[in-house]
Amino acid sequence: MMRHLIWIATLLPGTAFGQAATGWGNVGKQDDKGFSWTDPLWPDFWMAWTPATFALFCGIFGAIAFVAVLEVWKYPDGLERKGILGLTTTLGDRLFITLLGSAYIFLAWLGFVGQPIWIPLFIAIAWGIFVFWKI
Amino acid sequence: MRTVNQRGWFFVLPVLILVAFNALMPIMTVVNYSVQETFGNNVFFWQGLDWFEQILRSDRFQAALGRQFLFTAIILAIEVPLGIVIALSMPRKGIWVPVCLVLMALPMLIPWNVVGQMWNIFTLPKVGMLGYFMNDVLGVNYDMTQDPLAAWITVVVMDVWHWTSLVVLLAYAGLVSIPDAYYHAAKIDGASSWSVFRYIQLPKMKTVLTIAILLRFIDSFNIYTEPFTLTGGGPGNSTTLLSIDLVKIALGQFDLGPAAAMSLIYFAITLMVSWLFYTLMTKDDAG
Repeated sequence: MMRHLIWIATLLPGTAFGQAATGWGNVGKQDDKGFSWTDPLWPDFWMAWTPATFALFCGIFGAIAFVAVLEVWKYPDGLERKGILGLTTTLGDRLFITLLGSAYIFLAWLGFVGQPIWIPLFIAIAWGIFVFWKI
Repeated sequence: MRTVNQRGWFFVLPVLILVAFNALMPIMTVVNYSVQETFGNNVFFWQGLDWFEQILRSDRFQAALGRQFLFTAIILAIEVPLGIVIALSMPRKGIWVPVCLVLMALPMLIPWNVVGQMWNIFTLPKVGMLGYFMNDVLGVNYDMTQDPLAAWITVVVMDVWHWTSLVVLLAYAGLVSIPDAYYHAAKIDGASSWSVFRYIQLPKMKTVLTIAILLRFIDSFNIYTEPFTLTGGGPGNSTTLLSIDLVKIALGQFDLGPAAAMSLIYFAITLMVSWLFYTLMTKDDAG
C-alpha cells in the first residue's frame, strides 16, 4: 500500500510536466491553424471580411471587368443578339442574367432542400452556360 | 451594329465613386455579415449559409414578405390609374397649370416621418380630426390602433395621398409632350376619346409610366418611415412590412447575421422585379 503511494507520488510531477508540455499550458491561447477560408481576414477592420467572401467579390468584379474589356476592345457591339426568350442581350446583359439567376438557384435550393449546395452549384454553372449560349 | 462612344464613362465616374461608398461598400459588408455570427465588439464567427436557410424557412419572414407584396400591389393598382386620370383631367394651358402643378407637388415635399406623424394625429380616434369624425359623427367603428383592417386602409390611403402626385407629374409630362397634330388627326378621323387615350396618349406616356411604376414599386417595396411612424407595424404584426421586420431583427434584436441574410434576399427580389419589369416594358423598343 505504502509502496504504491510513494510510487504515485514520484510520478506526479512527471505527469504534471508532461501535461503542461502537451497542452494544458496552452489553454486559452489561440492555436495557430494557418490559413482558413472562413476566418476573419482583417480582424481590426470594420467590414468583417473573410477570405471566402473576398474571393466571391473578386470573382464577380473580375467577371464584370473581363466582360467590360471584351465589350470595349474586342466586340464593340457586345455580341448583341436576339436570344430564345425574345430579349436582345449583350455580353453584359448575359452576365447579369447569369449572376441574378444563380443567386435565385442557390436561394431556392436553400429554402426548399437545404445545405450542402453542391448540386445547385452545378445547376448554376449549367444555367450560366445556357445563358451565354442561347439567351 | 451600334457604335458606342465609351468616353461617356469618364463623366459618370464621380457618381460611380459616390455609389461605391454609399451602396457598394455597405452591400459588401452585408454579404460578409450574412455568413457570420457576431455578439458585438467587431468579433465574427463563421456561420456559413445557415442564416439564409433559417430566414427562407421562417414563417415570420414569409408573412412579412406576403404583406409587402400585398401592400405594393394595392398601392400600384390604385396610384397608377388614379395618377393617369388626374393627369388627363389637368389643364394643358393657362393660368391653372402652375397652380395644379404646385398643388400636386406639395405632398411630395413633406418629409416621410412628418407624413407618418401627420396621418397618425389625423386618424387617431378621439384625438384626430378623421378619427373623431368617423367614430363620433358618422358612427363608423374606425380605430387604426386596434383594428388591422383600419390600419391597412390608413397606411394605403396615406401612401396614395403622398405618392400619387409622382405618377401624376410624370404622366402629365408625357401628355404635354404630345404635339397637337396627333389630336387634330384623331379628330378628323372621328376617334372616340377612348381611342385617343388608347392609341395616342397611352403609347406616348409609356416611357414615363415605366419610370413611374418602377419608382413606385421600388419605393413602396422598401417603405419604412411612414408606416413605422403611423402604426409602428401594429396592431400586432398586421402592418409589419418587410423593412420594419428587418429593422426589428437587425437593431431590435441585434441579430446582424439573419438580418443581413434577409436584406440580401430582399435585395434579390427588388433587383429581379425591377429588371423583369424594365426588360418587359422596353423589349419592343430595342428589338
